[in-house]
Amino acid sequence: MRKQTLIWLSVFLVLAVALSACGNATPAEPAAPASDASAPAEEKLSGTISVSGAFALYPMMTVWADEFSKIHPDVQFDVQGGGAGKGMTDTIAGAVDIGMISRAIKPEEESQGIFWVSVTKDAVFPIISSENPYAEQVLAKGISQEVFAGIYITGEITTWGQVIGDPSDTTPINIFTRSDASGAAEQWAKFGGGAAQEDLLGIGVNGEPSMVDTIIKDPLGIGYGNLNSIFDLSGGGLVPGIVIPPIDINEDGQANPDEIYTVKEDAFGAVANGTYPSPPARFENLATLDKPEGLELAFITWILTDGQQYLEEAGFVPLTPEQQAESLAKLK
Amino acid sequence: MSIKKKHFERRHLVEFLMKTIMRIALVIVAGALGLILWTIITRGLPSLSWSMVTQIPKGGYYMGKEGGILNAIIGSAYLASGGTLLAILLSLPIALYLKAYLGDSKWGDYVRLALDVLWGIPSIVYGAFGFALMIMLGMRASLLAGIIALALVTLPIMTRAMDEVIRRMPVDLEHAALALGSTKFEVAIQVVTRQMLPGIITGILLAFGRGIGDAASVLFTAGYTDRIPTSLMNPTASLPLAVFFQLGSPYPEVRERGYAAALILTIIVLIVSLGSRLLASRLNKYTVK
Amino acid sequence: MNEIELTQVKVEGRLSRPSTPSRTRTDRTARRAFFVITLLPILLILIITIALFVRAMPILSAYSLTDLLFGEVWRPNNGQFGFRPFILGTLWVTAVGVFLAVPPCLLASIYLAEYAHARTRAIAKPILDLLAAIPPVVYGVWGLLAIVPFVDDVLAPLSERWLGSTIPIFSVTQPTGFGILAGGIVLAVMISPLIISVIFEVFATVPNDLRYASLGLGTTQWQTIRTVVLPQVTPGIIAAIVLGASRALGETIAVLMVVGNVPKTPTSVFDTAYPLPALIANNYGEMMSIPLYDAALLGAALVLLVVILIFNILSTLVLQRFLRRK
Repeated sequence: MRKQTLIWLSVFLVLAVALSACGNATPAEPAAPASDASAPAEEKLSGTISVSGAFALYPMMTVWADEFSKIHPDVQFDVQGGGAGKGMTDTIAGAVDIGMISRAIKPEEESQGIFWVSVTKDAVFPIISSENPYAEQVLAKGISQEVFAGIYITGEITTWGQVIGDPSDTTPINIFTRSDASGAAEQWAKFGGGAAQEDLLGIGVNGEPSMVDTIIKDPLGIGYGNLNSIFDLSGGGLVPGIVIPPIDINEDGQANPDEIYTVKEDAFGAVANGTYPSPPARFENLATLDKPEGLELAFITWILTDGQQYLEEAGFVPLTPEQQAESLAKLK
Repeated sequence: MSIKKKHFERRHLVEFLMKTIMRIALVIVAGALGLILWTIITRGLPSLSWSMVTQIPKGGYYMGKEGGILNAIIGSAYLASGGTLLAILLSLPIALYLKAYLGDSKWGDYVRLALDVLWGIPSIVYGAFGFALMIMLGMRASLLAGIIALALVTLPIMTRAMDEVIRRMPVDLEHAALALGSTKFEVAIQVVTRQMLPGIITGILLAFGRGIGDAASVLFTAGYTDRIPTSLMNPTASLPLAVFFQLGSPYPEVRERGYAAALILTIIVLIVSLGSRLLASRLNKYTVK
Repeated sequence: MNEIELTQVKVEGRLSRPSTPSRTRTDRTARRAFFVITLLPILLILIITIALFVRAMPILSAYSLTDLLFGEVWRPNNGQFGFRPFILGTLWVTAVGVFLAVPPCLLASIYLAEYAHARTRAIAKPILDLLAAIPPVVYGVWGLLAIVPFVDDVLAPLSERWLGSTIPIFSVTQPTGFGILAGGIVLAVMISPLIISVIFEVFATVPNDLRYASLGLGTTQWQTIRTVVLPQVTPGIIAAIVLGASRALGETIAVLMVVGNVPKTPTSVFDTAYPLPALIANNYGEMMSIPLYDAALLGAALVLLVVILIFNILSTLVLQRFLRRK
């Protein structure tokens, strides 16, 4: 019997080893803590950087990690999602080196030693169905911040009539919000004058893909979503079935050309030059425990300089030169 | 009293109706399997590609670009193997002890009750427990933590399966060995396990199949990464989590690949399940009937 | 023969046997070691319960049990931890799952136990095993791709036309297909193999003599089942249902993907719900950044554990007594 157990055990082990051998594994470098990395000279960086946090930044971080590893092949990355909350917790606890935080850092977190820089901008946009009977009028007039607040926070606005200025029309608005913990929701709440995601009214939908699907299917619905859910990133146009009701930023009762976004570049531009209000535009931040040094510093610096070129393709807005300089100055 | 009998009594009609209804019920339940497989195959096959199975995710993978889920496949293989191994080390002694020393005693019943109860505990509770343990011990999310959580989940399954099989062992074999002067331990090791090997293997494969597919226990404990783990303390991806995370992506191509990943997972589980049957029937040649 | 000669006896092709004293020593050591390991199952249950309780202590001491269990508002940022929507959500989804599963499973297992050919049984068994082996996340994907659209496109309109206006439990309250009904359907399929196999085993404990006696008196098979077999196995059937319910209570991933996850007390089967396991799974990442959140979630796990333990212990005791009759 012992021999048979041994045979089976070795079969398992051999399979496991064989599988890993044919895998596309990066060079077997044991996980060395980033702060003990080798000399910060430009060329020979090595070590492992572990990252966790906001799902919004996750795809971007994997691109950055990949590109950085191409330049510095001895550097490896462990990137996880888990949400901004997890990123913050992990960073404070020292479980990861860098946290991806898709919101502003709170003072209590800073007092626990958190250091942060902004690395990119993205934005939340309102969405309605392209089959919405009021779409034309809304696209012409825009919706002011006050009305959005009335829909989502105070609950005073409940009919489409109120939105377009015809109180006799009592067609109800089907208001949708996010039920899962979401940075986008938090931004939208702040835009409406609320404090947190929980202040948002509406039927909860779980996850961004579901939100977009729900709006496409419901002509009377209104919702919100991130840039990269709303625009088809390869084509540059809107995802079929939804339109963005313009936010009447200058409050003139009309939708001006710089408030209307039908292609990705328009939206990008508005967020980048600050025309689009913040919130719901926001800075995405990376957080570390105390000022970063060595490998982490090199990586974050790279993100703020060469790394910015990969952002647009992914649906994120690159920092303006001033914002870049600001972040870089912080790191010194 | 009339001797004539009605050919068509009401109770015969009832009998026929009930049989039909029951047959329909059986077909519905069995048909569910076909429906599930059909959905997974038709939605997953289009996005399935060789690169999915042979590559780890490259940079833009989560935005629809190149790469695959090899990290998750190997991660799950490691997790399931490790967890199953750890569980075997514990469940075989338990099953043997139950047979050899406890037999049908009261204590044996308590242990069996405990095992059945453990079997019913959902894997999310094991995951939460594993997470609490991790915090206490200051461990990070890692392969090791995931293996421990999985071992907890698979232990009752394996022990139960082994126990069921070992109890069926013909007593004569045991008596014969004892009569020849073996100690109980020797009987357990040399006679029982050899005789019950098919059942033991089936139990192991059953547990392995469960370990590959279980998400709730590894969610908290194993972390996630795009690399293939090289040490027990690395975090690791797993197939169920790979499916889960890809489904939540805003990019449709990534969601489609999630379906393909689900298909891969299903195929693996089917292979393990069918394989264990075949193996058990082949190994039955070596047992005494 | 003396001991030394015994030691030197060589059996054909095998190593010489160790001495008897050493074998006895091995036996005794092994016995002790195995005994300790065998205590593990019982210990594990205790350890897990205690560990969860300890981690949930902070929130149990900060709020009263009634506040927690019956509180309607869930706003951890504000320090409000009302579990009622989640508890009710769990109960609704489980109830729908069990209601949908039990009738077909009962009928199917009666057929398998009493009527079916050996060949039918031989085909049914692998099918049921496969259903049981399919990972929960795959069930979730199936739910997402097949059941949610089904609820949205077929069941919801049907209910709106016929049932919803009159019976509040069936009123269609939100426009997506996600919700309790979708979760219940997926759960029903997931727990079916378990219920069928347990009921099948329970039927097998009824000695054939009883059946033959009844048949010999001229009854049909169904009459025999109804009047002779069923009364015998009723406790076992109930135990099987309870076991299935406890499995449904704990199912996390599959339900999570289709049930909607909105923290509101349900009023209709078309409502979304947020069961306890989904709460724990969705928010484990946020756990440590909001005070008391981790205690709350682990407390939820504790509640789940206690309920499932009770269901499990009761049904297992009943079943063990049944199956021993074999």
